[in-house]
Amino acid sequence: MEIQTESRLVRLCIEAACESRESVEKWRKQRRTLDSMPSHLADALLRRLFLRHLLFPSLLEAFKRSVEVVDLKGASNVDAEWMAYLGAFRYLRSLNLADCHRINNSALWSLVGMTSLKEVDISRCAKVTDAGIRHLVSISTLQILRISETGVTADGIKLLSSLANLIVLDLGDLPVTDTALSSLQALTKLDLAWTGVSRLPNLSSLECLNLSNCTINSVLQGNGNEAHLTKLICSGATFTNEAEAFLYFNTRFLSFLDVSNSSFNGFYFLHNLKAMEYLDLSGSMIGDDSIEAVASIGANLRNLNLSKTRVTSSGVAILVGHVPKLENLSLSHTPVDDLSVSCIGMMPSLKLVDLNNTIISGFIHQDGAEPNLISSLTALHSLKDLESLNLECPKMNDAAVDHLSSFQELRLLSLRSPSLTDISLHHLSSLPKIKNLRIRDAVLTDSGLFSFRPPATLEILDLRGCWLLTEDAILSFHKRHPLIEVRHEHVVYTSDQAACHRQPRTSQRLSQVNQKQEKLPVSQYFIDQRLKYTREELLALQFQSSSLGSPFDKSHAKPQMQSD
Amino acid sequence: MRKEDSVKLISAEGFEFVIHKEAAMVSQIISNMLTSPGSFAETEHREVTFPEISTTILEKICQYFYWSLQYANGKETEFPIEPELTLELIMAANYLDT
Repeated sequence: MEIQTESRLVRLCIEAACESRESVEKWRKQRRTLDSMPSHLADALLRRLFLRHLLFPSLLEAFKRSVEVVDLKGASNVDAEWMAYLGAFRYLRSLNLADCHRINNSALWSLVGMTSLKEVDISRCAKVTDAGIRHLVSISTLQILRISETGVTADGIKLLSSLANLIVLDLGDLPVTDTALSSLQALTKLDLAWTGVSRLPNLSSLECLNLSNCTINSVLQGNGNEAHLTKLICSGATFTNEAEAFLYFNTRFLSFLDVSNSSFNGFYFLHNLKAMEYLDLSGSMIGDDSIEAVASIGANLRNLNLSKTRVTSSGVAILVGHVPKLENLSLSHTPVDDLSVSCIGMMPSLKLVDLNNTIISGFIHQDGAEPNLISSLTALHSLKDLESLNLECPKMNDAAVDHLSSFQELRLLSLRSPSLTDISLHHLSSLPKIKNLRIRDAVLTDSGLFSFRPPATLEILDLRGCWLLTEDAILSFHKRHPLIEVRHEHVVYTSDQAACHRQPRTSQRLSQVNQKQEKLPVSQYFIDQRLKYTREELLALQFQSSSLGSPFDKSHAKPQMQSD
Repeated sequence: MRKEDSVKLISAEGFEFVIHKEAAMVSQIISNMLTSPGSFAETEHREVTFPEISTTILEKICQYFYWSLQYANGKETEFPIEPELTLELIMAANYLDT
């Protein structure tokens, strides 16, 4: 990540410097240059050496007067010898040793008395115990400390009270007792996920609290100053007594509440949270009867997640008119139908709407003398800021997608339905600002892809699960539009290649892709897809694709080349 | 090369490199110096002195400017960098924002 912010020549130089052991030997003696190097460049160089497995303890010494940030997360070879060198880093500000399993108490001894260290992460270093904490508390400058899943006990946590500057503490999955916590008064951010804390004492300066997956009796109980908690995460928590759980702290400032997948049931409590901006109720017990409470605090709400709940279209209707600032709304995996879409169309600030895995089909069935089909998706045209729309609904068909083709601001559109064909792909080529288009599990054909003229703004085309497409068709599309990243079972990007996406090295990438494919067996997924269709249906599809292909071929015989 | 299309870059040791203005513009800093509306001496005389950049490094930088132009025009070759130059070149490149 650090490297990407650098200019191109800097990046090329760092690559060249970290080419091999020999190239490292060519420059490691240039001590004066290394010492005078700006820290962000030294940090990036060290990071690259580490990622290329070229870093060893004595090489660290060359960086002791320049580097400020060291991230060795997940390195199994980092041990006390490495730490001896790191202890001499004069300007070290942040040290990440998470998942370095060889780190033990004596390795941490090297850090004693460091004067500029502000952030230490030793998460999941299981050999570190209370004795290691004794070494760390000698670093009075520490502000952020992450010791989740270590061998530290309640006694070790009590020691942390001497760290006067500590503001963020991650104690996830430690045997934290309620009394050990009361000694930590200055914290503003506390992460207690997966711990045994049940009654959180009053920490008056606390602003941010993570109690996910805990069993909660009460939060911030105690007399005196009330904490001004702004962010509370209780996802996956079990509440033993909800009425009491939130009784003791001032909820007026709470703007972020995540109670997803928890046993939280007291939605009447929501009425008091007037400052609420981010509310995650996904996977909770909420149903239409409690939506009223959400509507009553909707004035400042920007993000509302109701996915995997029992909320139906009538629940969504209650929200209309009460959520003027709502930007993100998720209703995925809920029983909402097309009637909810017209309600969503009346929430004026929406930018992101997620309706993944609902029974929405794009049409409202009107009963009457003559049954009538009315498009529900046209209601979304009134949302002028809509940028991202997820309609991965298995009931969507080509006729419904036709109504999506005129969205002006849409950047991301996600569709997933076995009823979609080349016609949908054709409709969507007129979206003016689309960057990321997903059409998954559809019956797209080679000729459909060939005649598809992607909008100039398109960056990612996700066609996973479109099992009729052949490798040749996808490669030829990729050749015609090298700047578009195509995702399909036939194309495999390593994470590295995906990261350097849109860099002009397409020819090289394409050849790599080619090599990869030869080794790849056909995935199980395809076989499943084919079983869904009978021989007759397959033949019909084949016929359909060729009959569809010809009119498109005529209208734009020459696929438009991407101008670079 | 006409005079008005060229730029003179001077190294710490006083070596002068005369290159196309177009190439020099690859560097954001040089580009700013040459196009800023004020009356910088650099703007008038079309020459920039780099007291902190050695001749070897400045030569490499000039090569990079031309390589960069070619690359942008679709000639995708590798830009070779000798390992012993990397450290100083990193710092110069960072300074020149190129």
